[in-house]
Amino acid sequence: MKRFVPILITVTLGIAGCAERIDYDIEEVAPEEHLHGEEEHLHGEEEHHDECCDDVHEETSELEGLHTGVHMHESGVRNHGTEWFFNQPWAASFVWGKMLRDTIVLLFIATALFLIPRIRNRKQK
Amino acid sequence: MSSVMAFALMTMKSLLRRRTIYGIAIVIILALIAIGQIPSFDVSNQGRFILDFGLFGLEIGALVLAIGIAANIYPRDRERRTAMPLLAVPLSRTKYLLGRFTGAALVQSAALVTGSVGLMIVLLLNGLSIPPDLLPATLLLLVEGWFLLAIVFFFSFWTSPPLNAPLTIILFVISQMSVRDFVALMPGVPGVMRFLRMLLPHMDVFHIKDPVVHSVDIPAVYFVLAILYGLAYTAFMLSVALAVFRTRDLK
Repeated sequence: MKRFVPILITVTLGIAGCAERIDYDIEEVAPEEHLHGEEEHLHGEEEHHDECCDDVHEETSELEGLHTGVHMHESGVRNHGTEWFFNQPWAASFVWGKMLRDTIVLLFIATALFLIPRIRNRKQK
Repeated sequence: MSSVMAFALMTMKSLLRRRTIYGIAIVIILALIAIGQIPSFDVSNQGRFILDFGLFGLEIGALVLAIGIAANIYPRDRERRTAMPLLAVPLSRTKYLLGRFTGAALVQSAALVTGSVGLMIVLLLNGLSIPPDLLPATLLLLVEGWFLLAIVFFFSFWTSPPLNAPLTIILFVISQMSVRDFVALMPGVPGVMRFLRMLLPHMDVFHIKDPVVHSVDIPAVYFVLAILYGLAYTAFMLSVALAVFRTRDLK
């Protein structure tokens, strides 16, 4: 148990450094402009498409009352349908600093866990 | 370091003598061939299917390789009592762990690189071009494989091989989950679940399969950060494994 105490202390301190808040869960730490990239214009497009579709619905009785609400977005851009694609670390540069911070903390913990027993052994000798 | 490398080469040769690695490598290659045979059903961009499934197969292959290679190394050494004479004189526990890990990592890397080359061949045979980011994606998969290897070594020092595999798989699965999904597993204790999730690695860092498949450019700085993150987490897991190994009585 005594040997685990410095290990637990080191790990806890290191994790406390990483854990001010949940790191790079993109949806929690993302700025507003990243989360809602193009959604503001969607309502305008839907209304426009509603008008277009009405003519089609009048012509086709089978589709009367049906509303597909299909609309197109520019490819390769974040929108309500591609959130899953852009909610990944490679697309969220605002979490890269946290990745670097965690890398440094993990290396610190690894070094501490490696060196503490060796220092203790030297002192005992 | 020369003793570590010598022991690593010994580990690599002993692993290559086992049939486990060849069985896993054959399964990976057969899976890649099967992925290449998936008909397009007139869907455009068939290459995306092959690339997506191929990279996913390589990631699962890294997990299976880590478990298959490393889960039995230390338990076998302890059962056959080969660990005690090794640790008595020529090797410290640190060098033993580093040597075993390095040898296993070399074998795993060779298998994954072979799988990646096989994926490239499958793409070429289907008349598709090889995306330029496939090699960096493979490198990230290698780092992910090393990290999984370190986890397996950590578990091997205090669990049996039949328990090592499911623990590693569970850790692999929950490390892919977002915080929201992880907390939803036990919504009654959100604080505890969030703290537990903070302890786990963010394995989505290694996932660049989607941008590679859809030909989206990834900044080079991200590759460097992701590799450094993976190596740091691997070093962390190895240091924790070493801390556990130092407390183990080999008798």
